[in-house]
Amino acid sequence: MTLVTPDFVEELQQYGDDTVLRCFNCGTCVAICPLINDSFPRRLIRYIQIGARDRILAGGRDLWQCLHCGLCSRTCPRQADPAEVILSLKRLVLAAWREEDTKNV
Amino acid sequence: MTASKHQRSDRVGVYICYCGGNISDHVDVEKVRADVEKIPGVAVARTNMFMCSDPGQELIIEDLRQGRIDRVVVASCAPSLHETTFRGAITRAGANPYIYEHANIREHVSWVLHGDRATAKAEKLVAAAVGKARLLEPLQPIRVEARRHVTVIGGGIAGLKAARVLADRGLEVVLIEKSPFLGGHVARLDRVAPHGEKAADLVAELARSVLEDEAITVLTRSQLVGFDGYVGNYDLRVRAVSDGDGEGQGTYVPFRGVSGGTPPELTIETGAIIMATGFRSYRPRRGEYGHGDHAEVVTLPEFIRRFSMAESADGTLVLDGRIIRSIAMIHCVGSRQIPGIHEEDAEGRLNEYCSRVCCSAVLHAACRIRERFPGTRVHDLYRDIRTYGRDQEELYQRASGAGVVFYRFSPEEPPRVTAAQEGAAGQDFPLRVTVRDGLTFGEEVEMGVDLVVLATGMEAAQVGDLVAMMKLPVGSDRFLQEVHPKLAPVESSVAGVFLAGTAQAPMTIGEACNGAAAAAVKAASLLGRGYLELDPFVAEVDPDLCQGTGDCVRACLAEGALEMVEENGHARARVVAARCLGCGACVAVCPTGAIDLKGWSLKQYEAMVDMIVADLAEST
Ligand SMILES: Cc1cc2nc3c(=O)[nH]c(=O)nc-3n(C[C@H](O)[C@H](O)[C@H](O)COP(=O)(O)OP(=O)(O)OC[C@H]3O[C@@H](n4cnc5c(N)ncnc54)[C@H](O)[C@@H]3O)c2cc1C
Ligand code: SF4
Ligand code: SF4
Ligand code: SF4
Ligand code: SF4
Repeated sequence: MTLVTPDFVEELQQYGDDTVLRCFNCGTCVAICPLINDSFPRRLIRYIQIGARDRILAGGRDLWQCLHCGLCSRTCPRQADPAEVILSLKRLVLAAWREEDTKNV
Repeated sequence: MTASKHQRSDRVGVYICYCGGNISDHVDVEKVRADVEKIPGVAVARTNMFMCSDPGQELIIEDLRQGRIDRVVVASCAPSLHETTFRGAITRAGANPYIYEHANIREHVSWVLHGDRATAKAEKLVAAAVGKARLLEPLQPIRVEARRHVTVIGGGIAGLKAARVLADRGLEVVLIEKSPFLGGHVARLDRVAPHGEKAADLVAELARSVLEDEAITVLTRSQLVGFDGYVGNYDLRVRAVSDGDGEGQGTYVPFRGVSGGTPPELTIETGAIIMATGFRSYRPRRGEYGHGDHAEVVTLPEFIRRFSMAESADGTLVLDGRIIRSIAMIHCVGSRQIPGIHEEDAEGRLNEYCSRVCCSAVLHAACRIRERFPGTRVHDLYRDIRTYGRDQEELYQRASGAGVVFYRFSPEEPPRVTAAQEGAAGQDFPLRVTVRDGLTFGEEVEMGVDLVVLATGMEAAQVGDLVAMMKLPVGSDRFLQEVHPKLAPVESSVAGVFLAGTAQAPMTIGEACNGAAAAAVKAASLLGRGYLELDPFVAEVDPDLCQGTGDCVRACLAEGALEMVEENGHARARVVAARCLGCGACVAVCPTGAIDLKGWSLKQYEAMVDMIVADLAEST
């Protein structure tokens, strides 16, 4: 069970453009993405929409598989710009890791 | 009845169609032609690849013009397809269109039989048609006076629009509305999808132009209680809707006032009727998505009304003094119900259809919430998004842009609305909505909300009294049914009764107005000339044979089609042609054979039977 936390979308805005809610979950990006990987990148977009922050952080490393080829952004029918969203997420994850490191020092 | 009536024509023309192989692949058309040509009374027998084509029709026209024939038999497809085509050809040749008989050798022969049996049956059917055709008489369509007056039942947007168009076409109109107000459900909306016009403006503008028009009489608080007559000449009885008490004038009704009395019943003489009785909003069962159990669960119509009085607290929605931080909106409530999954209503029925307007109406409301109150979250739970019309898909996109979050549920596992548990994390909301979300890979997600809005659909209005009185057909969805969804979309099967708006099916305002305008124009063109021409296939009484027993009147299926009148001191039956169905029930019971059907007489039937049992080879 995941509790929806809509505030997360706003938290992410400090790391990049606010296009995530434009996505209507069609899956075109998953079909075109050269990484054949369990609903990548829509899975991440959906997690942002419902505010599943923990899951994004838990799978943070996966973000670095992205080739930034831009195919997904080019084919997205809703201009949700998934490739750019991945970049935002990288920034978020890095910031979170940094925070963790500082805590551990 | 003249002696010539039973004289047989011996100049019948027979035209047999190949139907491009549809018939000729199974029926030996040339053999049929050769054999039929020998039947007494047949002057010419011809074949063609497609009788309905111009060259095919030309064969008939030419033979008629040359005087070779005076009766026509076409053997081809079903008469429902091309009977009118061939009658038209005969008219163009300058002859009476009723000297025509049809033999169906496609649906009744080549599509169901093969080989010799097909050819033999085709010959029988053509021979029978010839037998009948020899006895056919030229007939004249029945001309009945028609009142250039239309009655519209229901004063919603569809009824108003129909009245407006009819008056513009120069007809007199009476508009009957059972409530005290015009505008129907649209008057209960705020801004409407997809463009956001004010519903009040739409209704006020149209209603004003209707009220100001001298050609339109508006009767509110009125209902139809009597229906009599026939197309072009209906007599309606209208009575005021009582307030339930039925108090006479001057009576004091406690806590209501002094009754103004019920005006007497009035009679309306009209030519056609437009049914614009609208729909009824679905009312959720108690406990359906928590409705009735939690005050915070409301239907979309209720929400729209409250939202029109919305207040703001720093950009967050306030309704009835309550801050609304988060709303869940659930689609398809009371629509698209599935046997075995959804619960049937008290009468054991399900609404299996899509209500068509709720997706757009709910998204429009969602956009307006987010755009005016960015502090309020909107969660939209759908089965499918069906924003199907022009500028409606844009609403879906606009809602996404405005930050509405969507969830997709399956009918087997609909969202659950429960009271929030005390003190649970993130649960400072009165309600909790849990849904297995197709967009989140089938996981269960949960959200806290202050309000749940149910997108309740449309149900057929309760017009059972009118349906029974006027014998209107109703679909399995209980909405009034048209004759044909594409080719006769606003006609009911009762001549002169038309359908407009959501009385017929769920529709948006624009679609309801389209339907209303179409119905109005149909009614106007029906009555425009002041008279109607009806098919002449009706009963006819021979006054010399009629003994005045009245058996026919008792057997008659159509009220008022047969009556007893005095003629030279004797009781005689008389047919009211415009009401007669041509069913023949009267013919069967008349002891003296005084009543018969024009175009389908007993003699003609006998001739057909004779030809069927005759050995063709012998008769030639
Ligand atoms: C919640 C909701 C939101 C909607 N939002 C939109 C929107 O945003 N945009 C849009 O285009 N459409 C919308 N619609 C649809 C819109 O309401 C209908 O298209 C419209 O009301 C249809 O008009 P109508 O005249 O056919 O029926 P109605 O509005 O139902 O009018 C029927 C009239 O007939 C009267 N009547 C009924 N029976 C009798 C009788 N026996 N004798 C005399 N009078 C009778 C009724 O009193 C009523 O006045 C919405 C519908 C709902 C339920
Ligand atoms: S940019 Fe990344 S997510 Fe998008 S298609 Fe390329 S590899 Fe896949
Ligand atoms: S293609 Fe665009 S709209 Fe479709 S799932 Fe991917 S991000 Fe969403
Ligand atoms: S219009 Fe949408 S909400 Fe309404 S019944 Fe159809 S799919 Fe369901
Ligand atoms: S044909 Fe039928 S409807 Fe016509 S008068 Fe006879 S019984 Fe009545």
